[in-house]
Amino acid sequence: MTLAKQASEKEQIVLSLEGVTMKIAGLVALNDVTFSIPAGKIVSLIGPNGAGKTTAYNVISGYMAPTSGMVRLFDEDITGHTPHSIAARGLVRSFQRTSVFDDQTVFDNLLTAYHLQGRASLIQSLLRLPEFRREEARLKKQVWEMLDFLELRHRADERAASLSYGEQRILGVGIALAASPKILLLDEPAAGLNPSETDEFKAMIRRIGNSGITVLLVEHDMHMVMSISDQIVVLNQGQVIAEGDPQDIQNNPAVIEAYLGSGVKRA
Amino acid sequence: MNWKFFGVFVVCLGLFPLVWPDPYILSVMGSAGIMIIAAISLNLLLGYTGQLSLGHAAFFGIGAYTSALMSLGFNVDLGFGITVQVDPKPVWAAFATAIVVTAFFGWLVGKLAFKVRGAYFVVITISFAQVMRMISLNWTDLTEGPMGMISIPPLSLWLPGEGVVNLTSKAEIYWLVLAVGVIAYLLVAMLVKSRQGRAMIALRENETLATSVGIPVTYFLALAAVISAAIAGAAGGLYAHTVRIIDPDVFLFIYTVTMVIMVVAGGKGTLGGPVVGGLIFGLMPELLRGVVQPEVQWVIYGITMILILLFLPRGLVPAIYDFIAWVRTPIAIPVRESKRALSAGAKS
Repeated sequence: MTLAKQASEKEQIVLSLEGVTMKIAGLVALNDVTFSIPAGKIVSLIGPNGAGKTTAYNVISGYMAPTSGMVRLFDEDITGHTPHSIAARGLVRSFQRTSVFDDQTVFDNLLTAYHLQGRASLIQSLLRLPEFRREEARLKKQVWEMLDFLELRHRADERAASLSYGEQRILGVGIALAASPKILLLDEPAAGLNPSETDEFKAMIRRIGNSGITVLLVEHDMHMVMSISDQIVVLNQGQVIAEGDPQDIQNNPAVIEAYLGSGVKRA
Repeated sequence: MNWKFFGVFVVCLGLFPLVWPDPYILSVMGSAGIMIIAAISLNLLLGYTGQLSLGHAAFFGIGAYTSALMSLGFNVDLGFGITVQVDPKPVWAAFATAIVVTAFFGWLVGKLAFKVRGAYFVVITISFAQVMRMISLNWTDLTEGPMGMISIPPLSLWLPGEGVVNLTSKAEIYWLVLAVGVIAYLLVAMLVKSRQGRAMIALRENETLATSVGIPVTYFLALAAVISAAIAGAAGGLYAHTVRIIDPDVFLFIYTVTMVIMVVAGGKGTLGGPVVGGLIFGLMPELLRGVVQPEVQWVIYGITMILILLFLPRGLVPAIYDFIAWVRTPIAIPVRESKRALSAGAKS
């Protein structure tokens, strides 16, 4: 791939919100929110409690239809589409709580997650026809690659429930990655993780970003957000109050005010 | 390694009638085998998709009645001047029809009942079995009611040099049941270790997550119900053509309970579970007969079941696997301890 082509891809906008307003029972959860996410970047959506992060997340992934405005995914209007059809277009979300197949091995968890990539029919499976064998070998190879990517290879034969909390979160993301998303939405992935688990998680998000997948994080952990984001969007009371790289955001007076209140000048 | 073990096990079972040609033992093994096939089918639903069907005897009974009716032929008045007459069909054709008909009922129950889950599914399956029992008791034109159906022809087989042989001797029945059992076992084994089977297990483990990775829930639940019912129907057909007398008691709740006990005690969700559980609970009443009084037999039966569930709640087969793993695991010395021991050794 030439550098010029890479550069042009970097500029490509994969997801954008245009004037999205969401009213829930009289409350304006999102007020004319507009931002866009370039391809291949790690973008964080932050804001104090009640800022509208989760609402924005639900609007993007199709769990809520906005009152007005438009969500564009790869230049296609996906406003009001079902979560399933949005997922099929390459935008996949990982669930906030641990979501793995508890009683299955880590390997089988991922093998199950590759369900949609399988094509073998029931008869081919039952009779172990060559088509089935080829497909099974291909899927297993993909699982090993994914295990290497997640750095969980040494845990392949363990039951998912016996993994540490942090490893279960990583496996959960791995299951989402098996759907080969172009954009991955993560909702507070670091919640409940200890510092070393957070570091491992951060490293994995970087690897995901480096592999060309755009990542949109909704996260409370400021250290994590500041250290891995390419771009940050700050929401407060349903409005975008700042947008930029971590350096800009840290020095932005509006952001400091939103987080610390206007009275605290000493901070 | 597992397949080698399976092969050796099947060959041993196959040679059993030659080694010990006692007709009584063989007939006990034959009826235990039929229950094991039914338990294998229940295990697919209960163990792999996690749905408790307490009406599984219904599929068994439908298989038995369909196979019997098709092989004997029937002439029934449906009212409105419509009569259905079926001439006796070849026994194997009747047997195949039984499998198809039960598969259809499996699909029907699957479609109806999987709209509701958990307790409601259990109630629907129990009711289904009861309705089938009522039909078999009261539709005397078709089923002879409580009199039952008699003179059901046996299955037959063409053997080189001997021509067509009716499978009526205890050893022949034993081999027949063994053959169908091996097919049922392989069918379930191939199914659960495929993409389709993984989808079924995913539903048991975490339905929300399964949906999110793109597994169509209702399709795979219905598929499991159809295959499970078809195997149970085959077991019922075998029962009809080997015992050669059936009555409405084949729909009794106790048969479902026996299957559930076999599956749970052996280890639900494992391939070997229903076989091990079925061998124990299918053979124990017969083996104890003559050793102790009948009352004591049932006490021992019950206590064994309670002990297994108390100490090995996941069943016998997972317990055996755990034991093998435990024996094979080398005793691990924690790394730090061993380093300390080494450095201590160097100092002294």
